[in-house]
Amino acid sequence: MIEVKNLHKKYENIIAVNDVSFKVDKGRTFGLLGPNGAGKTTTIKLLCGIIKPDSGTVSLNGRTDPTLIDVRRSLGVVPQTLAIYEELSAEKNLRFIGRMYGLDSQILNSRIAECLEIAGLSKRKKEKVAKYSGGMKRRLNMVCSLLHEPSILLLDEPTVGVDPQSRNLIFNTIEKIKKQGRTIIYTTHYMEEAERLCDTVAILDHGKILDIDNVANLIKKHGGPSHIEAEFEEIISDIEKIKKYVDNTEIQFENNIIRFKTSRPMESLAKLNQSGLRFHSIKVQTANLEDVFLNLTGRRLRD
Amino acid sequence: MKKVFFLAAKDIRVLMSDRGNIFWVLGFPLIFAFFFGAIYSDAGDGPSGMKIAVVDEDNSSFSTSYISKLEESDALTVIHLERDQALEQVRKSKIAAAVIIKKGMGDGFEAIFNRDEPKIEIAADPSRKMESGYLQGLLAKAQFEALSGNFTDKNWMQDQVSQWREEIEEANDIDTKDANLYLDLFDSYDNFFNDINDQDLKMGFDGDILNFSQTNLSRESDGPLTPFQITFPQAILWGILGCAATFAISIVKERTSGTFQRLLIGPIGKAHILAGKGAACFITCSFIMCIQYIGAKLFFKMPVGNLSFFVLAYFCTIFCFVGLMMLISTLGRTEQSAGGAGWAIIMIMAMLGGGMMPLYFMPVWLRPFSNFSPVKWGIYALEGAIWRNFSLIEMSTPCLILLAIGLASFLLGVYNLHRQED
Repeated sequence: MIEVKNLHKKYENIIAVNDVSFKVDKGRTFGLLGPNGAGKTTTIKLLCGIIKPDSGTVSLNGRTDPTLIDVRRSLGVVPQTLAIYEELSAEKNLRFIGRMYGLDSQILNSRIAECLEIAGLSKRKKEKVAKYSGGMKRRLNMVCSLLHEPSILLLDEPTVGVDPQSRNLIFNTIEKIKKQGRTIIYTTHYMEEAERLCDTVAILDHGKILDIDNVANLIKKHGGPSHIEAEFEEIISDIEKIKKYVDNTEIQFENNIIRFKTSRPMESLAKLNQSGLRFHSIKVQTANLEDVFLNLTGRRLRD
Repeated sequence: MKKVFFLAAKDIRVLMSDRGNIFWVLGFPLIFAFFFGAIYSDAGDGPSGMKIAVVDEDNSSFSTSYISKLEESDALTVIHLERDQALEQVRKSKIAAAVIIKKGMGDGFEAIFNRDEPKIEIAADPSRKMESGYLQGLLAKAQFEALSGNFTDKNWMQDQVSQWREEIEEANDIDTKDANLYLDLFDSYDNFFNDINDQDLKMGFDGDILNFSQTNLSRESDGPLTPFQITFPQAILWGILGCAATFAISIVKERTSGTFQRLLIGPIGKAHILAGKGAACFITCSFIMCIQYIGAKLFFKMPVGNLSFFVLAYFCTIFCFVGLMMLISTLGRTEQSAGGAGWAIIMIMAMLGGGMMPLYFMPVWLRPFSNFSPVKWGIYALEGAIWRNFSLIEMSTPCLILLAIGLASFLLGVYNLHRQED
């Protein structure tokens, strides 16, 4: 279990982390969603004790000092910057890290083989990392943190600059780890990743958490209405009649198409169906975390 | 301790994976030692004789014999040239002197001992009086040695006697009584040369006419015995400097690439990480030093005065530069800035400390500044062990200075690192 209380970190005049508090239960995946510079990486660094907070506390599995050796042994961190030795092969990188964690050589050999398999690098394990593609390096970067089978995993934007194939492999790996009951904190500025992987998401901006909840609740609270675009088989001749079946007064008409917003899309469509007009196609764009962020901050995630 | 070893092993692997690094820490210092050592020792040929040219204008059997006697001398290196070429070489200081054997040198005693018209001419720079005087002695010795060959030649001697007889008989200004005395003497010579067998005649003039015995006494050492004793400490320092700079850059590279972060979040303390870096640098320096030492012994025949002091000096020097490496690695936040700052500092330290040229080649006013360079103390300590014959007390001064610089730099580097990481 991870518990963070009133964490505060300031660099000269910039407040990087501002009164951040959250709790992640064992086996849950917690997402920190925010744009670049929101304070995600600083939070991760504070969690693993690389930097000290100005105030506030961090508790990992009930231990309040993340710099303690046995606490670190239970912690796996996938840093945003590639933390692998390009001059060494994938196998040698893993072997070195395994030795640092004091893994027995027999266990180490089997863990290295497993991790190389997970990363899809078994066939190229002897090659120097410098010869790998960006995606391969990212995959190796991730499995280096899984080698010692940590109970807590902190992933700091692990998919930055990764090709779709590698991204999928990383997602699948994280999903497998989730099933193993590990506690995960995942930072990203891609809302799709947070939606797919995280049980709970914290919206972070300018070092401050704006809200924490599961994705559905966040969208419900801050996402705003869904956008509906309905195309009919014939041109709409009686606009006033249609308006009676739609709860929203802001309807846009364009030949045989109408567009409107609603917080209950399925109910609205069912009601519209009663108008007697025959649908040709329906597009429902429900609110997502991007809308949540936009509504909370007035900015887009990738602004 | 095990983890420190793993860290060090990893760093050495990373270092050795780059051929450029291997050259700077191993190849360059060896080239440096060999190149400058060879220069200081006159191309490494060991002691050689005075280089002279001979010009044989006589081309007689006597001149040939005379030149061969000169060539046999260890004190001379003889080349054969034409007169103009020989004079030109003297003018350009390429040779010490030119010895010109004029026509008529082989004509007999009269030609050899002719005071009015000498048959041997020495062309040399008048400012090189000592060399010229030395050469005249060697020429006279060779002349007597060549003559000793003629004395044992019965026919040559009989020709000489016959020539002298004719001169006396034709001379009008010699008293008859005195002339008869000479003629009687020449008769005795004739009888002597007719009666004596060749072997007995040779025995009479066997060996050198002028010779000296020499006792070889090596002087007591108050300086290096070979030039490599000067260049070897410099080469060690260059190896250590190259190693320190390379490791300093590797620390910055770790910090910028994220691997340092991975180490920091691992189950090891910062002290382990820094000790690992220091150990890697230390082990690499030791390896380089061993290679250099073997090379110096095998190829350059370099003697080491006191091996235990040498090891002491070497440990203190490496400790100092491992500390400096730590400090240099915190001087820049990027590889480029740390690398630039590192090499700039190293070059200044090497220039001031006698790493590029021996301190006694430096202007006198500049020498006191060398005290601020750890390179000077490193070289001084190594020289103390190799050829200065330092006592333990004398060794302690440079060694303690090196340890103090190393410790202060290491602590400052660690402090900087902590400050930068927070």
